[in-house]
Amino acid sequence: MKMKSAKEIRDIMTASGAHSCVECGRCVAVCPMAEMYPNFSIEMSPRGVIKKVMMGEDILADEYIWYCTECNAGTDVCPAGVSDRDLIKGLRQLAIQQGTVKDIRTCTCCGELFAALHVMDFITERLKDEPKGYLEMCPACRRKVYLLRNA
Amino acid sequence: MPEAAQKQVEYIDIKDLRPLPAKKKLPRHPPVIVFNPSKCTGCSTCEMVCSNRNVDKVAPASSSIKVLRNEEEGKNFAALCLHCREPLCLEACPTRAIDKDDEGIVRIRRLFCVECGICTLACPESAPMVEPVTGKIRKCDLCEGDPLCVKHCPEGALHFYRGKAVGWIKYLRWPVQLLSFLLLVVVLVGTFCYFTAGVVSLPCPTGTLQNIAATKHIVFASAGAALVLIVLTILLGRAFCGWVCPFGFFLDLVGSVVPKFGLPKFLKSRMIKYGILGGAIGGAAGLGFQPFCTVCPIGSICRSYGVSGVLQGAELAIVPAIASLELGQRRSWCRYFCPVGAVLALAAKIGLIKIVIGAKQCKKFSCMQCADICPMGIIDREALREGTAPKIPMDECILCMRCVDTCPYSSAKIRFRWQKTIPGEVKAWTYS
Repeated sequence: MKMKSAKEIRDIMTASGAHSCVECGRCVAVCPMAEMYPNFSIEMSPRGVIKKVMMGEDILADEYIWYCTECNAGTDVCPAGVSDRDLIKGLRQLAIQQGTVKDIRTCTCCGELFAALHVMDFITERLKDEPKGYLEMCPACRRKVYLLRNA
Repeated sequence: MPEAAQKQVEYIDIKDLRPLPAKKKLPRHPPVIVFNPSKCTGCSTCEMVCSNRNVDKVAPASSSIKVLRNEEEGKNFAALCLHCREPLCLEACPTRAIDKDDEGIVRIRRLFCVECGICTLACPESAPMVEPVTGKIRKCDLCEGDPLCVKHCPEGALHFYRGKAVGWIKYLRWPVQLLSFLLLVVVLVGTFCYFTAGVVSLPCPTGTLQNIAATKHIVFASAGAALVLIVLTILLGRAFCGWVCPFGFFLDLVGSVVPKFGLPKFLKSRMIKYGILGGAIGGAAGLGFQPFCTVCPIGSICRSYGVSGVLQGAELAIVPAIASLELGQRRSWCRYFCPVGAVLALAAKIGLIKIVIGAKQCKKFSCMQCADICPMGIIDREALREGTAPKIPMDECILCMRCVDTCPYSSAKIRFRWQKTIPGEVKAWTYS
């Protein structure tokens, strides 16, 4: 499987510009995951993910690509123009295609894979006192339910 | 920290730029956009105008208001930020980029926002919109108090105003409660209860029921006088509990001071009071005297003042003992235990008036001030969170009108039972 997906991974790397990463570490400095997860490490950061892909490790089976919030912070500061967001998105997409996906939340209404499980866990933890029923649904379905209830 | 390092920190002024979220005072006039679904035609003018302000071109994808259409049922709705009282996006934001200002407008501070989209996932209606391609977050900031969507809506389906609470009912209720407390406790000692019923007294319905059960014959004069309160309750709801009851006033006073720790679960059943009522009547029939009236806190407090009512040992302990229930929840005695309230609740069940919450302008989950302030805790938080109108059980409502008083959007109202003011129940959409 690893050999089969090597080409696709290379394509994702090219598309997101990850080949030109200069390992400056700016993306790690601004990464919001540092504030979100107490176990934030270099492996979880975009820099670590890029490094792993470069080294040819089995990134799709890696759990650390499922922590990312797909934000724009790393892309904004990157001097080499790497789009971390596109990289992680592409890797996740590939992992879903390959069937190695573990940590992703599916919408209970439409079945869309809308957020990584760790991100949802973080939100659930932050909103301690609130009910969490709606967190099971994707934003589109939430609005749909909202429309049907209120219109 | 060493002194040198301290100096260095002061010199370069390292501080967290982002202020920690602090509990702020509620804005007196919270801004709100009211959406009227019956007028909306789904023309998306609001989206166009909004995106024009956001990105300087007409691109509905980057607007911060979204028109939702349901072609099956012909319904249109606009999803937009409600500027919650306690915004969930503010709590969830990992970079503390979301801020609520003194006017009540929830804003994203672009300096700190990293566009992670967590606010979208945390919001019950996903009001912060994610732009599909760029991933930018677009969130309504009410155009700094003059929303363009409201101005340009051709059908007038959007309406902007600043909320205003009624606010004066509490200045009426507290004096009325104080007056009736003085009247029932100090001036007319022992009235309201059964045995010192004077000329002006309204005998307690619970006491009368026990009396009938104990003596096994009905004195029509006293039973008729007891019916006065029942009839008043049918007309006005349990206004006696909220406005007149001297012990209720005492509980309100105590409850506004003491902290709350919650009650154990087995005590939290509103049927307990009916059980106590039945037990009291059954006990009266068996024992030949009124068993509950000897421990009744309302009676004790009524009889406590003056010469005629010398408190007996057990009675002296009953008022503080029951007042200590306030440590659990507000008015926990009235909620779960009071048999006098139980009789009135049975009457209020068939009463003529009701309280309706959840009109069109009600902000539901984003406000919930009524649920916070309700002393009986009968306003269904779950319904509000789901965005539907909560059903108020009038047998539990003491008609203190705190909800009517506090609602900034005047969507809590008193209506007759047969009036329809809220849209009918819509079946929740489920996956099938």
